[in-house]
Amino acid sequence: MSDFIERSKFSCALGGAITTITAIPKAIPIVHASGGCAAALSNTYNLSSGYRGTGYCGGNMIPTSNITQSHIVFGGEEKLAGQIESTIRYIKGDLYIVVTGCQTELIGDDAVGVALKYRENNVIGVSTPGFKGNTLRGYDEVLCTLIKEVVEKTDEKEEKTINLIGIVPGHDVFFKGNIEHLTDLLKRIGIRANTFFGDGESIEKIKTYGRAKLTVVLSETAGQLAAKAFENVHKIPYITTDLPIGPKATEKFLKLIGEALGIEKEIIDRVVKDEKKYFYSYLERIVDAASDLDFQRYAVIVADSYYAYPLTEFVSEELGWIPYFVAVNDIEDDKLQEEYKNKFDRLTSYTKPEILFESKSGLIEKKLDLIFKEQTDSKYHDRPEPMFIIGSVVERGLAKKYGTGFLSVAFPVSNRVVLNKGYAGFRGALTLTEDLLSELVSAR
Amino acid sequence: MANLLTGDLKYDYLSVDEPPVRDERIGGCTAYFGCCSGLKEDFRKGCAQALNRKFSQSGGCQLMLAMGIINTISNIVTIIHSPLGCCSNLAGMAGVRNISRASRGLKTENQTFIHTNLDELDVVNGGIEKLRRAILYADKEYQPEVIAIMNGCVPGVIGDDVDGLVRELQPKVSARLVPVHCEGFKSRFVSSGYDAANHGILKYLIREPKDTDESGTETEYESKERISKTVNIFNVGSNSHKDELELSRLIKKLGLIPRIVPLHASVYDLDRLGEAALNVSICATHDDYMLGHLKERYGTEYVLDVLPIGINCTNRWLRKIAGHFHLEKEVEELIEEETRELIKAIEPFVKVLKGKRAFVGGGETRILTTADFYRSIGMEIVGIKSHNLDRFVQYLLDEIDNPHLPVEVAAGQPAEELNLLKRLKPDIYIGHIGANGWVTKLGIPNIPLFGTTINYMGYSGAYELARRAARALKNTIFSKNISQNTELPLSDEWMQTYPKKNIVRGALF
Repeated sequence: MSDFIERSKFSCALGGAITTITAIPKAIPIVHASGGCAAALSNTYNLSSGYRGTGYCGGNMIPTSNITQSHIVFGGEEKLAGQIESTIRYIKGDLYIVVTGCQTELIGDDAVGVALKYRENNVIGVSTPGFKGNTLRGYDEVLCTLIKEVVEKTDEKEEKTINLIGIVPGHDVFFKGNIEHLTDLLKRIGIRANTFFGDGESIEKIKTYGRAKLTVVLSETAGQLAAKAFENVHKIPYITTDLPIGPKATEKFLKLIGEALGIEKEIIDRVVKDEKKYFYSYLERIVDAASDLDFQRYAVIVADSYYAYPLTEFVSEELGWIPYFVAVNDIEDDKLQEEYKNKFDRLTSYTKPEILFESKSGLIEKKLDLIFKEQTDSKYHDRPEPMFIIGSVVERGLAKKYGTGFLSVAFPVSNRVVLNKGYAGFRGALTLTEDLLSELVSAR
Repeated sequence: MANLLTGDLKYDYLSVDEPPVRDERIGGCTAYFGCCSGLKEDFRKGCAQALNRKFSQSGGCQLMLAMGIINTISNIVTIIHSPLGCCSNLAGMAGVRNISRASRGLKTENQTFIHTNLDELDVVNGGIEKLRRAILYADKEYQPEVIAIMNGCVPGVIGDDVDGLVRELQPKVSARLVPVHCEGFKSRFVSSGYDAANHGILKYLIREPKDTDESGTETEYESKERISKTVNIFNVGSNSHKDELELSRLIKKLGLIPRIVPLHASVYDLDRLGEAALNVSICATHDDYMLGHLKERYGTEYVLDVLPIGINCTNRWLRKIAGHFHLEKEVEELIEEETRELIKAIEPFVKVLKGKRAFVGGGETRILTTADFYRSIGMEIVGIKSHNLDRFVQYLLDEIDNPHLPVEVAAGQPAEELNLLKRLKPDIYIGHIGANGWVTKLGIPNIPLFGTTINYMGYSGAYELARRAARALKNTIFSKNISQNTELPLSDEWMQTYPKKNIVRGALF
């Protein structure tokens, strides 16, 4: 049984479904729920995801069946059918996806069944009541349905094409930039990546995703169900790896995928060499300041599992910071926690971070309070300073309290505007470095 | 005092756990499209109230509006008894609450909220045990003065006995427990959320004050004297601190003592809501439940009339207050002085705005008073859109002298509004959050109808309304650029359909 959560950094399954659908070009959500759910959940991501905005058909533009008290008693399927019929006439879309809220699922409406009646009008249905899980569950439910209902079955496989998933739109505030960096890199080693949400994607293209040779999942907690659906329905195997940030992680990432698809080693080596050279030609610029001003920091990372390890690895292995403390909020299972923890053994830093799995922000703060308190009672104290907290906007208060550097990267990010920037790969890592170090010089 | 707007309404609901929703208590219209004279007629006959729409888009949820009130109370932990989606917007609002608090000189504090995170198992077994643990955790970890429990749809449908739990736990915790029943599906009117929050404050939060005043040095005579001049001004989530300062300034000029409640108030202040000679609303849609019940409880008279926006409405608001204290002469002097000064100050803006065509969309009291102001300085109001319409603005509607004025009633529903705006092509749009972005995509310059840091109320607010509109028209290239380079999702068939065709007699609400 799940526990209560303090200062949640997630929305519900319906919220995850909406942020996912509105990120697919010309896909239209039709929300079978009470009137407020769609706009409220959509706006969670429109605002707190670096001001991503409503986009083509988000926010209060989302068609909704507006279920009220009387439908709870008499059922809302008829209302939904009417709503589907008017939506396909009045809203221009390539695919209409009916998603459901708590109210209609609790009363037993068969929304997926109603949607099925309009299949020839490009309508599909997914069950996504809030109580089914968090944002990540909603993402997986939508992707699974697309994979089963929209992606066409084929025995023809393209040897150098992958499906790249686990990057949750909106929940990864930098999803657009990250996808762009990774698809560009993969393209340079001859691999085409299907991404659902990247520039140039479309429903027509999604139909061809069954031709991919491999699925790559960049998260342990999102995309796993979708990857299994690709495997079961389209016979596409999958591997799970981390979001690569920085030269070392990206080199591993390219080699892992390249080898799985039989890409020549020389091609990968050449791209890695070129990109590494590019990376260091720019990183070199801050060497003087970093050395003269002593930019090495104790790093505290508070994030979901998608970002926690990759960010820790980047600051530890590329910038040479001290990985001090990591709090992860989205892994509950003991075995998965253990596996996730083991990743940190790969770090070369002499200090290995303490890892805490916790979804109550107050208890994370309590833990940090202890660290600070323990070491301030004596005249000489070796406390973890100077410190830099990388988290979400929720941790801004902590950074202020302890007087540390701070950057919000994980959701929610309401203190920054994010357009096309991303942190993945070689070039994304340069952007991340810019953002981290800008914090250190912002008062100068 | 006879009060026209609340005439036959009852305010004796505090014995029940849940207040009635607006659908039952007030009623009103949520869907209409037509001319103003037609609406007045249909509203009087009750036909407008029976309308619904075919194609519908997402509106609001009463939970969010209830949260908008509860979340401003100082030293509070809110528990959202629901799955994670409800109020998930709070994730990125940490700073917003503190901006609001800092602007009022209040201590900034971490916004602590807890989701009971109801899942499939809880739907079967009930969520009460999880809620119990969450309440005990909040009390132990934070020792807040208040723990509010906001009920989402799931506990509402599965029947969690939240009030029973609160009665059981209250003796065991130090915080005051305040359950708020604001399940979204229960009402078509998001304003039910105001009543839900106010019900929680009135029934569970406020208690008899222990001392008469904070310092303890006031004599009984001084205390009576203070209370006899105290005017509680009931603020709303959409007004700024600057609005409060302006309204307080005017009240002080009448020789009265203004006190701003209930938003951002401390528990200490809320306990003393009864220490006032008059309760004054600035928005009837927000406050009637609160003010009506305070009269029941403390016998305090109230003014529930107009939103003090623009010259006419601010004058009217002040006259109603002054009337209670027999300050008719003083208020006329004040109005004369203030309007003279203001009219001179807005002259340069009026030159720019005169004859310009404006459309106003948003909450009923705000749009009608804002439209009245722009009309009063020579702008042409070409249309209005109201989230809903009820008895609280009927007299404002009656005062509109253009029988052909297009009126749309819709919460959200940008498709209908954009369709209308494309036909009307106003020079400027003044609208509620959530609408302005779409209007920009349509290529129409716009300014927000309200903002938590913008002063729109009182005379200084009228100056700002004029100044902002004039400024927006100084450079309109942004909306042009956006409209030429982005696409709206609305089909040609929709844009060619007259929106009135979307309005039908309601089957089920």
